[in-house]
Amino acid sequence: MSTILQVAEERRGDIPVVFLKGRMDATTSPDAEAHINRLIDGGDRQLVVDLSGLEYISSAGLRVLLSGLKRLKSSGGMLKLTALAPEIQKVFDIAGFNRLFPIYRNLDEALGADPAR
Amino acid sequence: MLPEVVTDFLILFQMMCVVVVFAYLVTRTRFYPEVLEGGFSWKNQAILILIFGILSIYGSESGIDILGAPLNIRDLGPMVAGFVGGPVAGIGAGLIGAGYRMTMGGFTAVSCSLATVLAGLLAGIINLANRKRFPGLLLAVSGAVLIEGMHMGLVLLLSRPLPDAVELVSDAAFPMIAANAAGMFIFAFITLNLENERRTCRERDRYQAELQRKNAELQIAREIQESFLPPSLPTLPGYALAAESRPAREVGGDFYDVLGSPGGRVGLVIADVSDKGVPAALFMALSSTVMRASAAWHQRPRDAVSDANALICRESGSGMFVTLFFCILEPAERTLSYVNAGHNPPMLARADGSLSELPASGIALGADEGAVYEERSVKLYPGDLLVLYTDGVTEAEDASQQQFGDERLADLVKGLHDRTAGEALAAIQDAVAAHTGAAPQNDDMTLLVLKVGT
Repeated sequence: MSTILQVAEERRGDIPVVFLKGRMDATTSPDAEAHINRLIDGGDRQLVVDLSGLEYISSAGLRVLLSGLKRLKSSGGMLKLTALAPEIQKVFDIAGFNRLFPIYRNLDEALGADPAR
Repeated sequence: MLPEVVTDFLILFQMMCVVVVFAYLVTRTRFYPEVLEGGFSWKNQAILILIFGILSIYGSESGIDILGAPLNIRDLGPMVAGFVGGPVAGIGAGLIGAGYRMTMGGFTAVSCSLATVLAGLLAGIINLANRKRFPGLLLAVSGAVLIEGMHMGLVLLLSRPLPDAVELVSDAAFPMIAANAAGMFIFAFITLNLENERRTCRERDRYQAELQRKNAELQIAREIQESFLPPSLPTLPGYALAAESRPAREVGGDFYDVLGSPGGRVGLVIADVSDKGVPAALFMALSSTVMRASAAWHQRPRDAVSDANALICRESGSGMFVTLFFCILEPAERTLSYVNAGHNPPMLARADGSLSELPASGIALGADEGAVYEERSVKLYPGDLLVLYTDGVTEAEDASQQQFGDERLADLVKGLHDRTAGEALAAIQDAVAAHTGAAPQNDDMTLLVLKVGT
């Protein structure tokens, strides 16, 4: 297990995909938050966050994703999540966030799906 | 008697010793660092001119013949003054050195004096080009070499008779350039040491101030959180309660509450705010107050939680949310009606050794304004043990980042059904402590245990 969070970005067509790898906790989340905020400030309205590399997410990590989702929704956009490992999915399920975020099995499904869901 | 070459070099060595001592003393004054950091006040420039003018005079006075060639470090003072304090300081110190040189006469009086003033000027220009900073070691020393080269050129250009000038330069060029470059090396070395030292000091000070601020913040967050936890638990005939919240170094916004009401009904709350530190502590203060008020107002847990959610949503900027379990116990009927808003499912250990969970059925508060909450209820029996906890318990990690885990907690709680509330709480805390060992506590750990009397 690592103690860091790697934040990477790739554009698929018009849509930025943010890859989060490692541990997303109170210490590491600010990097991801800054990255997501930068994309939203830059005008992106559709965002996909790929969590396939995520080993752990704390409430601080959930807060960052929720903050991004709220910002995007308020301006007609959407933040989609994809590729959640079972233990990450469980965290989302308990907090009830599986009902808030559009969650896809893989990146292709997330990119192919209707943005408004 | 020592051979001439040895005595000559001893004299040269003494000269360099004087430069070392001089450089050391000057760099230890209060004004020198000020000038280094760009404080070119008139007073500072005047001090520079005076000090390095005197060094220039010393350079003339200490001039000697080394192996038959004349050598002096008259230009060193004005060069250092220029490198440190800019053209005004350089020219000023140069004028003092030049004035003194003029009084010494000789056929190179004019060219040497002029060269000393120009040395200060050129060094000052290098300082300006370097954005009023002292140039690095390499630039300072190579600058000194070039300036001394210019000095030699001026002698050839201005001093007559020309053959004498040529002879003097061919003898003196190398030792002059070498001696002034060596002197400059000493100054530059000590000056750069000083700059490094001051930079390290500044960084250390900044780091310490940051650390202090951070510690104060941690303390404030802890105090906020602590002040919103109930100071004591009410006594409840036929039941026993135990609770403890152990904050992490950086608090995580956990809280619990026990709310009595005149009808004998008792509300229990356990909750965990997202994120850490002061923001989490403030959000915890808000959430716990809102939940208390809402619980006092509404009869049903579902209404209390829905209202609390609506109020908390208004304040939940930047995605803050709180997972919360709220239940109302009817002591006489032994029923528990509850809403689990995104919180870790409390565990209920029955007297028969079975274990059930009170699962999450709604979304964490503050995340979704339109959230709908489902209320469930469960019947309690004598000897039942209900354990409410936060994820700081199950996610407590050992040194190799292995979590304590839900299963381990479930197994443990199952075996605690015959213990008192206080014993069960202590047993869970001990088991978590045994698991984590010396690993630091990353998150708040909160437990609220309800035991049904037999």
